[in-house]
Amino acid sequence: MLFNSLDFALFLPIVFLLYWFATKGNLRLQNILLLVSSYFFYACWDWRFLFLLIFSTLLDYSTGIKIHEAQNRKKKLFWLWLSIGINLGFLGVFKYYNFFAESFAEGLALLGLKANLGSLQVILPVGISFYTFHGLSYVIDLYKDRIKPERNFIDYSVFVSFFPLLVAGPIERATHLLPQILKKREFDYTKAVDGLRQILWGLFKKIVIADNCAEYANAIFGNSDQYSGSTLLLGALFFTFQIYGDFSGYSDIALGSARLFGIDLLRNFAFPYFSRDIAEFWRRWHISLSSWFKDYLYIPLGGSSGGMWMKIRNTFIIFLVSGFWHGANWTFIIWGLLNALYIMPSIIFSTNRNNLEIVAKGKYLPTVKEFTSIAITFTLTVFAWIFFRANNVHHAFDMISGIFSKSFFTLPHFPEMKKAFVIIILVILFMMMEWFGREQQYALANIGQKWKRPVRWAFYSAILFAIGMFMQTQETPFIYFQF
Amino acid sequence: MRGVKQFILEVVKFIPFAGLVYLLLLLFWGDIMPEMFHINLNYRVGSYGHLFSRINEVKNTHDVDVLFLGSSHTYRGFDTRIFKKEGLKTFNLGSSAQTPSQSYIFLERYLKQLNPKVIIYDTYPFTFESDGIESTLDIISNSKIDRAIIKLAFEQNHIKVYNTLIYGLYSSLLNKNSSFVEPQTNVEDTYIPGGYVDREIEYFKNVEYDKKEWDLSARQLKYFEKVLQLIKENKIQLILVQAPVTKGLYTSYTNNEVFDQKMKSYGEYYNFNEILQLDDSLHFYDVDHLNQNGVEIFDKAVIDLLFKEKLISNSKQE
Repeated sequence: MLFNSLDFALFLPIVFLLYWFATKGNLRLQNILLLVSSYFFYACWDWRFLFLLIFSTLLDYSTGIKIHEAQNRKKKLFWLWLSIGINLGFLGVFKYYNFFAESFAEGLALLGLKANLGSLQVILPVGISFYTFHGLSYVIDLYKDRIKPERNFIDYSVFVSFFPLLVAGPIERATHLLPQILKKREFDYTKAVDGLRQILWGLFKKIVIADNCAEYANAIFGNSDQYSGSTLLLGALFFTFQIYGDFSGYSDIALGSARLFGIDLLRNFAFPYFSRDIAEFWRRWHISLSSWFKDYLYIPLGGSSGGMWMKIRNTFIIFLVSGFWHGANWTFIIWGLLNALYIMPSIIFSTNRNNLEIVAKGKYLPTVKEFTSIAITFTLTVFAWIFFRANNVHHAFDMISGIFSKSFFTLPHFPEMKKAFVIIILVILFMMMEWFGREQQYALANIGQKWKRPVRWAFYSAILFAIGMFMQTQETPFIYFQF
Repeated sequence: MRGVKQFILEVVKFIPFAGLVYLLLLLFWGDIMPEMFHINLNYRVGSYGHLFSRINEVKNTHDVDVLFLGSSHTYRGFDTRIFKKEGLKTFNLGSSAQTPSQSYIFLERYLKQLNPKVIIYDTYPFTFESDGIESTLDIISNSKIDRAIIKLAFEQNHIKVYNTLIYGLYSSLLNKNSSFVEPQTNVEDTYIPGGYVDREIEYFKNVEYDKKEWDLSARQLKYFEKVLQLIKENKIQLILVQAPVTKGLYTSYTNNEVFDQKMKSYGEYYNFNEILQLDDSLHFYDVDHLNQNGVEIFDKAVIDLLFKEKLISNSKQE
């Protein structure tokens, strides 16, 4: 069940009505309802993987209790590693087995040796990377004595499986989400209205911006050998807005849906394309994953406490792991590596925390310096996305060498250029909205709040109209579902 | 709970408000904005293979010998002039990407009046796997909007169809197309009375295609069975054909035989890709449309078949 489907448009209000009316505010019933709905939501993809999700939940639930009850550090560590090992084992089999088998065979082939390890026809269970990380954060936090174990299995399961975040995050923390699940939730009118507004904006981002950009990005990436440098760059730009619209749109719908149930999820995007350097970009892009890696990998590895070399080493490690987390492909690893290289100057010169404030706060336009920094950061990001999107490393290098050819100085052209022109205009208008809303949680959050109701409603209706007029009619799954 | 109730009430109030604003914006958009911005509004009167002229003509056509139905392969494949030379009064009711669901609508509208002795139905497999959106948009734009087309729109449940339907209803209400006259010649295409569209002679340069399979839609097959039932109820002879496409395209599909078997199970069926030996370059102007040289060979073969198998004379005798 996709967020941008009719099924979800029916599912969400039904669960909402049952949640607030049928349970009569009983927390236990509300949590049972959320769990049943979440499992139903997940089973709509493939009910067989529901067992894997339940097993993973059960594993972290019980090892969590064992960690807490263990008498000494050694036993705690045993249970922690058991949980980590099994969780990562599943992730490894389902997500990475073929990659390792193929890479190993290719490596041997380079040495003139032949190995036939066979590849498994494994289907990647949707959301496995996300719920595995949920569970890991829980057991690690328990081991570090940051939280107490949750003994109610239903409540713990809701933490892992809450349907808005189940398949593509945000990657929640037990310290943030569990207390909300355990606390009686009162309906908050303002929060619910805000949730609907965020869902509307997320839908616009996904089915108008991302899905339309996807059509042209696919067309250009799919036939990259036929196009000029300028067209290839346009293809990379289309993908840049596709992935932003797709993932941040998904996150908006997830956050908005959760707010209808009185739950606040972690913010995942904060206008990353207005970042002034790569460090700022990574504080604004897929925030829940970046902060997860920071808290559970970078800091345990020593963070920046061990001097410059340790800082550099750890930065490379988290970016490589982050790349690998996205998928079993060298393209993702190079994408991670590239970002590590981009961020290196600011690590070395300790300027990575220079831009903590919102750019041009309280002003309409950025300064020339700010604008230049944004443009440079954006360009670097676009080039990194080429690796992320390309079919393989060779394809990515072909794209880049194609861009840096003489044909870069020609006008972009591909068969659907005229139709794509309308989408370019839409992307520009969209980014203008994002710019003016950049001081809010999401662009639409405050626009029109002081307008009279008919005007404000007309504005929301106009967004609905824009969705109806410009939406891509081919149902496209969210990119991050594959991770 | 008061807060929830108030919230639901506001949402309930917002829905008709948004619907009204949507409607007004849609009409404004259709009237004012250039066509390139009509991404999900395809109200194009006088496009899609002269359906506007064909519908105008069919209104005044009665009692034909042969009625042709199907996609562009029909209105670009069955030249009514060639059949006329053989003494046959024909009408070509083909339309762009016409799927069985639209054929059914046409038959319900015009079958009694046209009263054909034989119906030749082109069964291009693509029309059995298509969602039929393109064809529905064509019919909304170029013919009257009746209950059947509204029913079909809801069945298809597609934003493009809804937008175009709303704008089409508004245009009909204001009679906006009353003064529209479709030019008989539109760039390379000329409308020939009887429904055929003649294209200036062109030749096709073949390309290679990936192997694939036809994947027929259960919905279209269901409509096809309704079409067959309607024809049977009216005791009209039906001949199913598959008009030729280029060999390159035809052989790229690996399950043509399965499709042939399926069609044979419905009645008398002739696959002209197997019957005729045509040249991809000399007899086609694009990958799946015959040029006039190809049309003449194809139509002659169809006429021979009609007479040889006494299909038309049989029906005349009846």
